[in-house]
Amino acid sequence: MVNLLERPRAQDTAPPPRTESRPAARLTLPTLLTLTAIVTIVPFAAMVLVAFAPPSGQTFPDALDPTRFTSENFSRVLSSSDIPRWTINSLLYSLVSVVFVLLFAAMAGYAFAKKRFPGREIMFWAFLATLMVPFQATLIPSYILVSRLDWVDSYWGLIVPTLANSQSVFLLRQFISQLPDELFEAAEIDGAPEWRIFTQIVLPLIRPALATLGIFVFLWHWNDFLWPLVIGQSGEMQTLTVGLATLQTQAVPINQIMAGATITVVPSLLVFGLLQRYLTDSIAMSGLKA
Amino acid sequence: MTDARQTPDTATGRAGPVAGRPAPTSQSHRASSPGRRRSLRRPWVGLLFVAPMLLLFLAFRFLPVVGAVLLSLTDYRLSGRWDFVAVDNYTRLLQDGLFHQALVVTLTYTAVFVPLTVLLSLGTAVLLHQVVWGRGFFRGVFFLPYVTSIVLAAVIWKWIYDAQDGLINAVLGLVSIGPVDFLAESGLVLPSIAVTSAWKGFGYSMLILLAGLQAVPRSYLEAAMIDGAGTWQRFRYITLPQLRPVLFFVLVIETIGAFQVFDAMYVMTGGGPVRSSYSLVYFLYDSGFKYFDFGYASAIGLVLFAIVLVVSLVQRRLVGRDD
Repeated sequence: MVNLLERPRAQDTAPPPRTESRPAARLTLPTLLTLTAIVTIVPFAAMVLVAFAPPSGQTFPDALDPTRFTSENFSRVLSSSDIPRWTINSLLYSLVSVVFVLLFAAMAGYAFAKKRFPGREIMFWAFLATLMVPFQATLIPSYILVSRLDWVDSYWGLIVPTLANSQSVFLLRQFISQLPDELFEAAEIDGAPEWRIFTQIVLPLIRPALATLGIFVFLWHWNDFLWPLVIGQSGEMQTLTVGLATLQTQAVPINQIMAGATITVVPSLLVFGLLQRYLTDSIAMSGLKA
Repeated sequence: MTDARQTPDTATGRAGPVAGRPAPTSQSHRASSPGRRRSLRRPWVGLLFVAPMLLLFLAFRFLPVVGAVLLSLTDYRLSGRWDFVAVDNYTRLLQDGLFHQALVVTLTYTAVFVPLTVLLSLGTAVLLHQVVWGRGFFRGVFFLPYVTSIVLAAVIWKWIYDAQDGLINAVLGLVSIGPVDFLAESGLVLPSIAVTSAWKGFGYSMLILLAGLQAVPRSYLEAAMIDGAGTWQRFRYITLPQLRPVLFFVLVIETIGAFQVFDAMYVMTGGGPVRSSYSLVYFLYDSGFKYFDFGYASAIGLVLFAIVLVVSLVQRRLVGRDD
């Protein structure tokens, strides 16, 4: 079910039988697709055009004149806002979370899949049950907890509570339980320490699953809004996503807001460009939701 | 923090210890293997591996759930002082005009957003399924907005809708219509926000539906074609019934997501005009972080949880009937 390794082969997914051979019908499909694709892309294109448009003057038609493109909006928004600091916060929030979510989820997934210990079933079902609770429903107690720990406005408060990620545990457990038991038993007979079995056998074998999951965890955190909004209260502790929302509420010219927006979207686009197939295939197969 | 939206496995009840684990019949054989015996002898090994995640869960997932229930029975305030008030927060909710407003806004938004996004994703999935070449390209284009944040979508679309120099009004201006202030008209604001969210998110459901379409047995469609069924008839009587479980899953995921709407409203309208885009989560956020009425806000959170739970259970029953 959660076989992230396997990709649908093109020949398996042949289109349904085609009856229409009328030219009109053959043209409708590509036309509809192209139109929908254009509508989907226009907001991004407009964002980039406005971000590069001359700062003074009308948004349109100035934004459509390639001879007047300028990077002035970028330098202005970079100097007038905290974007560099927000970028660092976002990178820390996302990357540190990816590392620890993957590590802890792989450890827990391995134990749930291949180890016997008291309370295993109850624990696993309890992990699953938390998937049903919307994060917003526990926003207030989570915030009070973080403030009692004196973690508000700190990286601890931002990152640590978000590491409790049941989807990751669930997915990695599924993936690891498909590995043959003999692998681990052979290593145990040889007397390999448990930690070495985990780092030298389990982790390399689940690398594809870790890669896909890592992308999702990155996107979850990079795009996350409500939690960083509540925890990062000072300007210094805001993430890029929260910062972008803040820019919007201040009297910042639209060209600069779009320049800021363009900056925030670059990492997502990089991830998308490099790993699109991984992402789309794993959604189709496992239903991972970013 | 992103656990709120379920994976399909939990939502459809297909999850569980059964999948991917050897059948119980292999138990006797496996019990004799040395690795198994060592694992049985040393149960603490498994516990140690679970420990970091377990501690995180106990502290940041379970404790807050218990905390939410307890808090909702108190009048806990910023100072940390509190009194037990039993169900006062809930009776107050029932009488609170803002709660009614937030509920109506959330339901209206859901009623617009869910059909919109399901039709959009079903339509694009069907188109992609039919197309012979360029499927990967178009699929990528439709999926692109999904990897960005809803905040980014909201920022871009707020400008697109802008009455002064927004994109739509620039186009409308060419044919001498408008300007229309989409986000300032109480009748237009929710559909406008729903369009933004649908644009951002339809790529996900599209992929799920596309996978569903590809699982429809080709022989069924060929048999129907031999029987003389046209394109629409094949879609209506073969594809759609086959797609039902997947469609239900998409419906539930999108409905649950719609009930949690907040980010787009926070960025695009601030809940306005005159609270006509003031959702339940916005109400929760304001109660908690504007009025620091933590007990009351916790009660709102539990109402949200109850709604989401009911939606999931209804779906589970509906799909369960299929099997």
